[in-house]
Amino acid sequence: MTHLGPIRAAALALGLTLAVAAGFLGLGGFDPIAAGAAMMRGAFGSSNAILSITMVRSVPLILTGLAVALAFRAGIWNIGAEGQLYAGAVASVWVGLVCDALPWFLLLPLVLGSAALAGALWSAIPALMRVRLGIGEVITTILMNFVGIYLAAFMVVGPLQEARGVFNQTDQIAEAARLPLLMPGTRLHAGFLLALMLGAAMWAMFRWTHIGFEIRAVGVAPNAARIAGMIKGNRVVVITFLASGAIAGLAGGVEVAGVTFALYEGLSPGWGYTAIAVALLGGLHPIAVLGTGLLFGAIEAGAAEMQRTAGIPASWVTAVEALVILSVLAVDQLRRRSHA
Amino acid sequence: MSQVLARLDGIVRRFGRVTALDGADLEVRAGEVHAVLGENGAGKSTLLSILGGLQAADSGTLSLRGASVTLRSPRNAWAHGIGLVHQHFMLVPRLSVLENLALGGQAPSRGWRLPLREIADRATDLMARIGLSVALDAVIEDLSVGDRQRVEILKALLREPSILILDEPTAVLSPPEVEGLSALLRGLARDGRAIILVSHKLDEVLAVSDHVTVLREGRTVLSVPRSEVDASSLTRAMVGVALSPGTRPGGRPASDGEIVASFRAVHTAGPSGHTALAGVSLDLRRGEIVGVAGVEGNGQRELALVLAGRAEPSSGDVDLPHGTGFIPQDRTSEGLALDFDLSENVALAAHRDAEFRSSGLLKWDEIRARAEHLRTEFAVRATDTSVHARTLSGGNQQRLVIGRELPVAKDLLVAHNPTRGLDVAATDFVHRRILCTVGARPEGPAVVLISTDLDEVLALSDRLLVIVRGRLSEVPLGQRTREGVGALMLGSVP
Amino acid sequence: MPEAVALVAFLEASVRLGVPLALAAMGEAVTERSGVINIGLEGSVIAGALGGAMGAMALGGAWGGILVGGTAGAFVALVFAAFAIGLGTDQIITGTAITLAGLGFTGAIYQARFGTTGAVLSVPTLAPAEIPLLSEVPVVGSALFAQAPTAYLAYLFAPALWYFLYRTQWGLELRAVGEAPDAAAAAGGRVRWTRFWTTIFGGAMAGIAGAHLVVAHAGTFTENMSAGRGFIAIAVVVLGRWNPVLVLFAALFFGAANALQFQGQALGLDAPYQLFLALPYLLTLAALAGWVGRSRAPAALATAWPKRAGG
Repeated sequence: MTHLGPIRAAALALGLTLAVAAGFLGLGGFDPIAAGAAMMRGAFGSSNAILSITMVRSVPLILTGLAVALAFRAGIWNIGAEGQLYAGAVASVWVGLVCDALPWFLLLPLVLGSAALAGALWSAIPALMRVRLGIGEVITTILMNFVGIYLAAFMVVGPLQEARGVFNQTDQIAEAARLPLLMPGTRLHAGFLLALMLGAAMWAMFRWTHIGFEIRAVGVAPNAARIAGMIKGNRVVVITFLASGAIAGLAGGVEVAGVTFALYEGLSPGWGYTAIAVALLGGLHPIAVLGTGLLFGAIEAGAAEMQRTAGIPASWVTAVEALVILSVLAVDQLRRRSHA
Repeated sequence: MSQVLARLDGIVRRFGRVTALDGADLEVRAGEVHAVLGENGAGKSTLLSILGGLQAADSGTLSLRGASVTLRSPRNAWAHGIGLVHQHFMLVPRLSVLENLALGGQAPSRGWRLPLREIADRATDLMARIGLSVALDAVIEDLSVGDRQRVEILKALLREPSILILDEPTAVLSPPEVEGLSALLRGLARDGRAIILVSHKLDEVLAVSDHVTVLREGRTVLSVPRSEVDASSLTRAMVGVALSPGTRPGGRPASDGEIVASFRAVHTAGPSGHTALAGVSLDLRRGEIVGVAGVEGNGQRELALVLAGRAEPSSGDVDLPHGTGFIPQDRTSEGLALDFDLSENVALAAHRDAEFRSSGLLKWDEIRARAEHLRTEFAVRATDTSVHARTLSGGNQQRLVIGRELPVAKDLLVAHNPTRGLDVAATDFVHRRILCTVGARPEGPAVVLISTDLDEVLALSDRLLVIVRGRLSEVPLGQRTREGVGALMLGSVP
Repeated sequence: MPEAVALVAFLEASVRLGVPLALAAMGEAVTERSGVINIGLEGSVIAGALGGAMGAMALGGAWGGILVGGTAGAFVALVFAAFAIGLGTDQIITGTAITLAGLGFTGAIYQARFGTTGAVLSVPTLAPAEIPLLSEVPVVGSALFAQAPTAYLAYLFAPALWYFLYRTQWGLELRAVGEAPDAAAAAGGRVRWTRFWTTIFGGAMAGIAGAHLVVAHAGTFTENMSAGRGFIAIAVVVLGRWNPVLVLFAALFFGAANALQFQGQALGLDAPYQLFLALPYLLTLAALAGWVGRSRAPAALATAWPKRAGG
């Protein structure tokens, strides 16, 4: 165990998860092999599957995964990516509907920018409560998730409801507010590129910049950061928390501007929570998160196929994601123990 | 010759690659105060925790009253009449004295009932008999360190042990309190118990004990009645050679260097809101070592943090220089980031310097070079600069901290308990480096040495201050002895 | 008078909705007193709900549901304990994973067993049991004393747990474990063993709470019906300052906030339905912000013991 590098540890965790998951499936009377095959087909079975489903589904996961990884690195337990995402989605739809007269080079940045701002505002409350009142952010971010979901639910039956007034959804946003496609004929939109660039930028920040070092120091050794390094921990925490919220909000905005072009209830099937598994499996490393985000995008893409052909309920995917987190934690802990 | 209550033979105990005990022996008799002496890391705490049931030996025998036993847990040890009073008190801060006694002061046959009144009665009786006094309904976190120790001892005595072990009991006491403890221990021994005193403080050991055992590098090197040894023979046994600790050549005349830092009427609050510094005024001059002696918990930490610029005072004027280095008292949680490597730990202090920074980016090449230079110059035993600080020994970690801070301390160096937990060689190194820094350059920094180790402060300081309840007072030249300073530490006039 | 009727109905709903919060929160209060924060409590609640539904149907009675629900909740907490206490993994993340696992597994089992159409199950329910005399007290009598028997369980547990924590040796040792585990261990206490059973106890209580939601409130099971009650329960523990009696009162207060979503219109409050849904969560946030400063959590809460190798 001692010499298990981070990549092999992640692979081991993944392997453990697959084994346990297969066991459960077997217990439930399902065929694990058929399930696995169906999932692979659903995720990679055709170029359409890869480009229009897997990669597209990975975008919100990569973005929220980056948001969570950033926060966790600073020792901030941001479990609120889901609510921050919804806040960003609401803001982006609003701007996309209201400012429809603007040209695309103004409207699109505005839409995405407002999504990030909304996400940051959503995380500001738990951030302030932690820094000013010493209230742990786990509960507060989780509570804000529920508020965010209900806010979106309210918007789509109230102020932002479609003109027809029939369904609980908004009208579609203006053409100028939508992300361009990377490959015509597919659904792969520019948000994918944005996610990759953000991952690279975050990696560069941690490696080379001053603030990146401060964030890592606060996360790894908050006392030493304060006393030996004279790093104002609270300032770093607030900045990082807001940035994390902004990226999660951006995820919501990207999904609206790139895929749905509208807002409806249940926009996110729990991406904010899956992001935790994405971030942990990637060892909180921004470049690795790009990979694990794609992996989970594949899992979610394959889930629909899995339900259709192998009859496995869609909720199973949530359970598997939880198993991933537990495996990573277990492998990590065993590595630590063998070091000591 | 009185009865042998406990005997340990050939005890071996290893932790990974570190051998803490390498064939240590100990024989304890009824009615004696038996001191176990050794420097930090010699293995005495480990040996006594084996006797106390906290851990098991890898090999060797333990026999109690002639019968061989294996102690599996503290509960087990208690059942055999062995009680251990820890160096770091095992008290629950938010519970009352009585509740703590109920927790730790009863025989193991507990049910669900909690007979608080009965325990209170027994405690009051005991306190009367041995001449100790502490308020039963006081909450532990409100008590002074001396009082907490009394609670620990009371807790142990309630269980009526035949062997009582005290681990470094005098580390947190002022000289007069040490006297009181010695009298108490002698009285307890007279009642037929065996008292084992684990310590590295020579003078106190010589004053109190009947029998002395010395451990060095995990082995018993000496075990004789007190009458057969003196300070120098004990020192020789402890370190193998007579070391003269680094001292300043005579006391230098008051420095006339420029003032680099000054305080006026500084007040700060401590962690639980009470006043930590109560109107401190101080001037620090180049080239002088100002020692601050005091019993733990009188505001030293706050003084260190404000002097080093790591904390803001709540009122008062503070004038601090730019080039300040800080050696905090807890190197593992305040001085170093254990999961960072050497370069990153250097960056921790250097990240604000223009030298290592340019427009938002850190110059990692320069930082790594500085770390490498530090590693060789300060003899930090590590294979290279990419190892994590966690893997270094205590002495090497302190070298890392010092190597990082000394170059930065162009105007002021604040050192808070810099040699705590270090063995004699490492302590010596730290002292030499501090002296070097002050003396070598014509424009050396001012040094503030805040320490609970009275010997250290007496040996190194030019000016000597005492801190009591957040106030500083200067020790006049004629009073610079252990007794004189000790009296000031308690706030009394000699 | 229709207003009086609406008020009584509101109070009755408040207690009915407050009871599961009280049960889960009292269990978690005991858990946290020993130094463990179980964010996976939500997983225990939903597991208890599904267990309650399936147990009641399989065993032919609501009490069967309570029994199975409690066991399911305890089992989920056992898994959490195995990781967080046994292995020493981080309590916060482990708890989050357990909640996700609970939601995922219950959803999957439900869909596999009952299909994806969301048909309403017919679950044997727990009829309210009126306590003679007490239930005839005007206004509050029927609200407090004409509830399903699980409510009375909550009323009894509050003082019982209080007595246990503050007046018994075991309670003292438990509190010591949560405040200063090193000291508790030195005094001969068994830290991990204590934490194990408090966690399982908390899970069982949360499971009973979940079962109550099914057999005494909704009468059926739907996915994710726990709706964050496990999280609110954790906040309720803070508000109740880890004291079982105060926790009961705080829980009833939140039951009232919850009840507004059903009784709000009847009470004449005109606001969007979603606001009522969001109200318990907003109220929890406000309460945490307003009142938390005056109390302190058990000192060793969320710390692993023995100290983690990496920490």
